[in-house]
Amino acid sequence: MATDRPERKISVESGDGFWRGQFLAMASPCEVLCETDAAEEARRLTELAAAEAWRIEDKFSRYQQGNIVDRINEAAGAAVEVDTETSQLIDFSVTLYELSAGRFDITSGVLRRAWRFDGSGNFPSAALIEKVMRDVGWDQVTWEAPVLQMRPGMQIDFGGIGKEYAVDRAAMLVRQASRASCLLNFGGDLVAIRPPRNQETWKVGVETVDASSSNAEKLLNLAVGALATSGDARRYLVNNGIRYSHILDPKTGWPVSDAPRSITVAADTCTQAGMLSTLAMLEGARAEAFLDAQQVRYWCNRGVTGPAAEAAKIA
Amino acid sequence: MAAVLVAAAAAATEARNMKMSERRSITGALAAATCTLLGTSSPEPVQAQEEPGWDFNTALLYYGEDNDRVQDLSLNVLARRTFTDDRFLTLGLTFDTLTGATPNGALPQSVPQTFTQPSGRRTYTTAPGDFPIDDTFRDSRVALTAAWQQPLRRLSTINLGLSASAEFDYTHLGLNAKISRDFNNRNTTLSAGLAFAMDDLDPVGGTPIGLTPMRNADNDDDDDEGGNRGPTESKDILDFVFGVTQVISRNLLMQVNYSYSDSSGYLSDPYKILSAVDAVTGDVVPITQMPGIDGPSHLNYYELRPDSRRKHSLYTQAKYYMDGKVLDASYRYMTDDWEIDSHTLELRFRWPLSDSRYLEPHLRFYTQSAAEFYRPSLIDGDPLPEYASADYRLGDFDAITAGMKYGWKTGGGNDVSVRLELYKQSGNVSSSQLIGNQLNRDSYPDLNAIIFQFAYRFGM
Repeated sequence: MATDRPERKISVESGDGFWRGQFLAMASPCEVLCETDAAEEARRLTELAAAEAWRIEDKFSRYQQGNIVDRINEAAGAAVEVDTETSQLIDFSVTLYELSAGRFDITSGVLRRAWRFDGSGNFPSAALIEKVMRDVGWDQVTWEAPVLQMRPGMQIDFGGIGKEYAVDRAAMLVRQASRASCLLNFGGDLVAIRPPRNQETWKVGVETVDASSSNAEKLLNLAVGALATSGDARRYLVNNGIRYSHILDPKTGWPVSDAPRSITVAADTCTQAGMLSTLAMLEGARAEAFLDAQQVRYWCNRGVTGPAAEAAKIA
Repeated sequence: MAAVLVAAAAAATEARNMKMSERRSITGALAAATCTLLGTSSPEPVQAQEEPGWDFNTALLYYGEDNDRVQDLSLNVLARRTFTDDRFLTLGLTFDTLTGATPNGALPQSVPQTFTQPSGRRTYTTAPGDFPIDDTFRDSRVALTAAWQQPLRRLSTINLGLSASAEFDYTHLGLNAKISRDFNNRNTTLSAGLAFAMDDLDPVGGTPIGLTPMRNADNDDDDDEGGNRGPTESKDILDFVFGVTQVISRNLLMQVNYSYSDSSGYLSDPYKILSAVDAVTGDVVPITQMPGIDGPSHLNYYELRPDSRRKHSLYTQAKYYMDGKVLDASYRYMTDDWEIDSHTLELRFRWPLSDSRYLEPHLRFYTQSAAEFYRPSLIDGDPLPEYASADYRLGDFDAITAGMKYGWKTGGGNDVSVRLELYKQSGNVSSSQLIGNQLNRDSYPDLNAIIFQFAYRFGM
């Protein structure tokens, strides 16, 4: 199969007081901001981050043939023994499945057979959703590490965790390889390794609309830690005047209603931030209440300001 | 490894709590699972703060009454500065220019009526059949507010504010404080507030003494304050408010407030008068002026209200959220010791048209009963009552406001809205309070007004 994968190359250019390394991975623009005097070091760290991102993409992307995910999805009911890293990702997914009472489910990717989020009003039939839903549900999977077995037709997909995992993994490697202050940004999921020397914090813009502010974009000061964003204002479906988010609830097979356009969460690691923002999206109208209970800093974008945004805080 | 074990223990506790509370925290369990996945024991804690910034709400408001009555153009700027740790400073500036006046309280007649201006320098004359209005009135007002809000421990918030305003004949100084606290997993908020205001009145030409006859004009530009004109007056207002906000369900939020307000001091309107009328015909009583004297053509008295007023109000509001649409309904009941009872019902519906545009229809109904001392006129020759006012705002009336707001977001992410509203007020004077010819004439000045607002909200 010929995948038209973008060319794997990196570029490093001089920024405002730091070096900016860039590459493409997991269908996202990725960058490594490095506060170092030597361009070679910036290149070395960007190469390190890019290699890890590409390794994880190759290993876990559902678009690539022959990798572990493909072998599991093409097993046609046979048991598949997986390596340690895959086993750890599956264990993590199982924990999230339990913590979210089934709303985070790595078998839910097959719902894409029914739903197309292209801004149109094309709705799948209830019969089609019902048919696809038969192949959704972690409770139908037999998992005894390191062996996984599922019915033919079912699939797993690490798309909900891959990018956050990759940026955390790459950040660990960069942190071990250098004492430089770096910020890794994989398509909006980012980790600040150390605060920059020249200024106290990294400045990061997030989309936000809340009752108290009109700013379409808020500037955040990130000294150390991670930010992850879920949701995409451009991906939705409109039917009978109701806007459906592209967040699908694996328990119903339907998009979550009343979810914010996007949610950004700050946490110690990008994996934690990403899981909290994803689970909050799945809570729909209760997103803010869920995040309040988690005691984390977050920024919700619900579009138009005013009472709508205020009422959205209703749990 | 020890940290992982601690995190795992925390996760077990969280899992137990999960069953006990709908609003579960998964933070600990997630941290433990992430540690296992990434093979790290204790990542550095995140340090993320919002960059402090300014947020501006600006609005230009036009309010215009029909029949050459009050026209008000008002500019409002509200600036809010966000600091780290959820602390806010809010500064407000309002500038008003007011022209025209409200009816002075005298009754319309079949003959022209002449009145002395409040300044005491000149007179103005009202045509037959019209409600007497001093349309030479002009004023401008500047008002400033400042408020500080910050968290007080984890679940409480405190607000402290002050307000001041100045216009030609009136100054206001106020202080306020409010504490609110969240309970019940932030499903319930209790709040208590206190406000105190000291207002001073310095009417043009001095403060009239209540229930004395309207003076003659002296045609003199000197600001002498003789006769029945007193000095500067003041009033104090103390307000308490107690409120409960409760999340009822994922779609419904309710709020109930009780408030108490105590005003004391000079509570009359220095520019309001009452006509003295004949006990049989109900017509105004003419005055024969000496030659060369400029003064009122008929007998009028300055109004007098009690020097204290206690109000109780109960306010309840519900916000219902459905697929991006919001229905906001509220009702207020107010009763006071002037025997005014009022009911206000207000409805707003936020109707999103797209990602960035919305329509918001608005309806408001208001009804009030008259103050016990409200009367359309005084009877010439009868003993003067203890208190009396013919101010139409203290009468028995109904009002309706209907309007529409349209809002959109600009390409730069700022908010713009335009609002157009119509206001209609119609009153009713009890026929037992009307005498003779008054029954055939208008006794209550009905009012129609138009309200237009342009608002722009931006950040820096």
